[in-house]
Amino acid sequence: MAAPAAGEYFSIGSCISCTTCLGQRLQGEVIAFDYHTKMLTLKCAPSSGKPNLSDVVLVNLAYVSDVDIVSDRTATPPPLASLNFNKLANRARAEKEDKLSQAYAISAGVSVEGQQLFQTIHKTIKDCKWQEKNIVVMDEVVISPPYRVDNCRGKEGSALSHVRKIVEKHFRDLENQKSVQRSQAQQTQKDSALSA
Amino acid sequence: MFALARTITVLSSVFQVAFSGVYANMRMVHVLTSVVGTKCELKVKNGVIYEGVFKTYGPECDLVLDAAHRKSPEPSMGPRREDIVDSIIFKSSDVVVVHFKDVDLSYAKRDNFTDTAVSSRINGEHKEKDLEPWDGGDQHVSGSLESLDNDLSNGWDPDDMFKYNEETYGVKSTYDSSLSSYTVPLERDNSEEFLKREARAAQLAEEIEASAAYKARVALENDERSEEEKYTAVVRDSHTLNRENKYIPPGQRNREAGMSWGTGRQNSPRLVQCSPGPPTPRAGPHDYNTLSGVDQRVVNGGAHPWPSRCPSPSSRPPSRYQSGPTSLPPRASTPTRPPSRPPSRPLRPPSHPSAHGSTAPHSTVPKRLSSEGPPRMSPKSQRTPRGHRVASCRGGGPPGTDFMSQGASAEVSAPPPARSSPSGGTWSSVVSGALAPKSHRPRSPRQNSVGGAPPGPSSLSSPQAGTVPVDSMTTPASATSPTTASPAPNLAATPLAEAKESRIQETRQNSPSANKENVKPMESSSGISRPASKGVLLNYLLQSSSNPDPVFETTVTKSAREPGDKPKEQPIEKSTTDSTGPKVCSESSGSDEVSATPAGSKPSTPSPSPSSSALAAVSEQKRGPDVTSQGVQTSSPAVSASAKSDKEDKEEKKDPVPESVRKSTLNPNAKEFNPRAFCTPPKPATTPTLPRPQGQPSPSIVVQQSPAVYGQAMCFPQMYPLASVSPGVQVMYHVPVPHMTVSQSKPYRPGKVPNMPQQRPDQHHPPGTSTMMHPATAAGPPIVAPSPAYSTQYFTCSPQQFTSQPLVQQMTHYQSQAQHVFSPVMQGSARMITPHTHGQPSLVSSSTTQYGEQTHTMYGKDPNLNPNPFSAPIPQQYPHPSATLHPHPQHPQPSATPTGQAQQGTQHGGSHPAPSPVQHPQHQAAAAAAAAQALHLGNPPQQQMYSALAPTPPSMTPGPNPQSPQATFPSAQQALYIHPSQVQHGYSPNPMAHVQQAHMQSGMVPTHHGTPSHPPVMLMATQPPAGPQPPMAQGTLNPIPVSSTTHFSYMAHPPVQPHHQQQL
Repeated sequence: MAAPAAGEYFSIGSCISCTTCLGQRLQGEVIAFDYHTKMLTLKCAPSSGKPNLSDVVLVNLAYVSDVDIVSDRTATPPPLASLNFNKLANRARAEKEDKLSQAYAISAGVSVEGQQLFQTIHKTIKDCKWQEKNIVVMDEVVISPPYRVDNCRGKEGSALSHVRKIVEKHFRDLENQKSVQRSQAQQTQKDSALSA
Repeated sequence: MFALARTITVLSSVFQVAFSGVYANMRMVHVLTSVVGTKCELKVKNGVIYEGVFKTYGPECDLVLDAAHRKSPEPSMGPRREDIVDSIIFKSSDVVVVHFKDVDLSYAKRDNFTDTAVSSRINGEHKEKDLEPWDGGDQHVSGSLESLDNDLSNGWDPDDMFKYNEETYGVKSTYDSSLSSYTVPLERDNSEEFLKREARAAQLAEEIEASAAYKARVALENDERSEEEKYTAVVRDSHTLNRENKYIPPGQRNREAGMSWGTGRQNSPRLVQCSPGPPTPRAGPHDYNTLSGVDQRVVNGGAHPWPSRCPSPSSRPPSRYQSGPTSLPPRASTPTRPPSRPPSRPLRPPSHPSAHGSTAPHSTVPKRLSSEGPPRMSPKSQRTPRGHRVASCRGGGPPGTDFMSQGASAEVSAPPPARSSPSGGTWSSVVSGALAPKSHRPRSPRQNSVGGAPPGPSSLSSPQAGTVPVDSMTTPASATSPTTASPAPNLAATPLAEAKESRIQETRQNSPSANKENVKPMESSSGISRPASKGVLLNYLLQSSSNPDPVFETTVTKSAREPGDKPKEQPIEKSTTDSTGPKVCSESSGSDEVSATPAGSKPSTPSPSPSSSALAAVSEQKRGPDVTSQGVQTSSPAVSASAKSDKEDKEEKKDPVPESVRKSTLNPNAKEFNPRAFCTPPKPATTPTLPRPQGQPSPSIVVQQSPAVYGQAMCFPQMYPLASVSPGVQVMYHVPVPHMTVSQSKPYRPGKVPNMPQQRPDQHHPPGTSTMMHPATAAGPPIVAPSPAYSTQYFTCSPQQFTSQPLVQQMTHYQSQAQHVFSPVMQGSARMITPHTHGQPSLVSSSTTQYGEQTHTMYGKDPNLNPNPFSAPIPQQYPHPSATLHPHPQHPQPSATPTGQAQQGTQHGGSHPAPSPVQHPQHQAAAAAAAAQALHLGNPPQQQMYSALAPTPPSMTPGPNPQSPQATFPSAQQALYIHPSQVQHGYSPNPMAHVQQAHMQSGMVPTHHGTPSHPPVMLMATQPPAGPQPPMAQGTLNPIPVSSTTHFSYMAHPPVQPHHQQQL
């Protein structure tokens, strides 16, 4: 419940750091602040590290402490651009549908491997969805359990070959990851053994 | 988002527009809206994390997550369907942190229609659709499309259009196929000189036509392949040609048709051009058309905006030439020509001798026309045009009829004149430069009719005969003479000077270039004052023309200024009286004139007198018009019985002068112009060419007006007596005019030309300013002259405005630039402006000599101020109103009452013959103010005008500013000076104006009383207006100060009020 350091206002563009009542440390650039609701919006470094993206954190200052102004605004905030609401609404609907479809698939008993594969494919190809336990990519390729390369069916073409490559790579990476883990595990075991 | 916001707002507060809570925080709204549709993790204060798609938020920052589920600590598995809640609303008080990961904040900003967005999709593969030939198919029965092929006519015949408009809309076209307003018919005679010139012209034409360049150009024009054919037509297979009922593309048709089509096309285009003149008959000599067209073009140098009309005229001339004898006889028969010529010739001889460059050009042009005319007749293009032209000439009111009409036109109606002009137009057409001549001629006829045309016979013979080149030259001269016609009266007094002036005016009218030339000549001749006057004169002439002569009235009425006709007549009468008055005043003015004239050698006394007379006429006219339009006339008379008496006196005086005045007013140009101006709306519609004509007309008009202005100026003094207000204004004009002429001659040309264009684009102000600058720079001293010019402009404006309805139109016109009449006026005003600047210095000197010392200084300053206002083309007109308004204030200051002011003005006039009175008011303002006062006092119309002006703030403002300054000045000369500067500031919008103003101010202040305190104050007042809306504000400001509160009300301009207060 610590009060904002610099008066009760945060100038747009200034960098703020704070700690939530849950112990989470936040730091970012103020992009909006509403005094009445004590809601502060920060723009933080993207968790994915992609340069064109950013994380937005909406903080309720009522549950924040240690508010500190790291740096004050250096430049006047940019003007607000008009927003395409249709685009936003569509995105919201699409996101919701995706999540629901995914949840539906999960609830249908899809294996973890399947879910992981779906996530991997989804990263590359947005147009993928669950159909029962099958993953349908671009409405052309259907990947059925156990979601191996051989399980990719569809009309021969670039789409199928492309999906196969993705699936192949997914499992290869998965194998590598496992191997690494194994090796690490082995090493740790060895180390422990040695140490022991 | 919106939906939520809307629902929320609606629910919470019905229709409470004011956004509450977060919704009032634009940035918060923006950010939260930007992340709508993204997945987020929302932590509540109990530590539970919910993950969902951010859906929306409420005014209290309540958050809604769709498809939210409580995130389990185990990240491995995704949520089960049953774990997901469709949507959860979190109260902001429960929310600790909401984390939107990897959000693209610019997602919603991206639009799909940027070049990048579009190109990214098309990715360079954009391919234009292939054009496919269209085949009507067998079912396409000959009919719709086919009929087009069979219709050899090239659209509506202009006459048909005129007829249709008249029958359907009651719009009468003032179009004169002869373009008499712009050219003068070639006067043929059997004199040796003429024959020589004709032969010479023929030779030259032959040489020109034999030249490769000429042929190449003709080939371009006569290229049967249209641009569509060349570049955009769908290429069809030859088989398509096998058409019976199939549609045949134009290109193919031509090819198939071969020569016949080609000719047809040629005809059509040419016809179109010619259409203005005599659309109907093509029978006329074809050769003439082409040749004439070409010649005209050449002559015009492209200056003419009216390809069609100009060509037609030119073509016509040729045809006439060819038909020569026949055509000529009719003309000769026509009364109009004879009168015109006689006057013109008499005048011409003197004028020619004085020989302004203008005459020479005319002569050359005529030669071409005459000589070329025949050859041209032969050309292909000429054929159709010829026919049209001929037809027009013959059928449309052939020369004879036209002439008759013209002759009668003066009294009868404008239309006739116009027609007559056409006949003359042919002649005039011969030479592009002749344009002015034409106008002159028409005018001259009128003038003749009005002022009586002693030379009539001789002139008639020459025109008809289309005497040899020399004659043609003379004709131009005669044309000038017509212009002079207005001057004619003057000429009587001072033939030479008048002739020169007339010529100059004519030349100006003819074409910008011509104008320039004229100006130069003018300058060369002592006519500097004349040049300035010319610019002014043109306007004046127009105005005067409307007022002065019955013809004008008729024309005006014809043109469509129906309402103002009667009023105008009265005004005219007044003007005439005034003009006479001016002459009388000329004594006083005479000194002024002399001072001014010194610059101009010849004019000196004579010219001044003429100019003064013209000015007087103009002023009178202006006044008259104003009065008529607004009913100010009546009011003015009523206002000042003394003024009336003065007028009467003037009238008496007029008797001697009337002729000159009438002539000036009569000036064919003026009349014609007026009609145009009045009719401008109709004309434009009728002919595309209008633009050019406008430019030309305006120049010519300006010139004429300037003389008129001078005359008016001269008259003004008288006027003052007559009409307290008007006199002052007139005086101002007078003074300025002379100066203008002197210094401006050169500047005017450039200024005029520039002004014209500038005005059009810039709405006058810029041009005016520019012009102003030039004049000012060129002739700083002439300041006085400028003021006259302004005054003249004002007058002109006022006349137009007074015309009543015309005022508004004029305003619009000015603004639009499109209006021909207005444009001329504008030009004139611009010129006027320039003159003013120039004139200022001279004015000062003159004023000093003539006026009291103080008054002189004041005047000088005032002129400057006025110039500035005037400088803006539009402003000029406005200035008039404003000036009128301002003057009142000024007057009031002295006398305390508008009427009193007016009286004062009159008194001044009394003390000072003519100019001095005006000047007394405070010269600059004096003129403007005087005019304004006159208007105010005697002219309710002026107020109306103001109101009308109000619509066109820019122009108005300039005028007003000057006036206002003047008004202020009256109170304190210094203050007045300041005002000018202020005014200038207001004008500041126009860089030029500012500069000029600055110059003016600098010059003014120093010379005059450099009252620091006053100036600053004034500046403050003026500046405010200028700042907000330079033109408007100024205008308003000026008006306000000058005019009484009532004026302010009219103006309704905030800036003005401040000024008034300050002034007050």
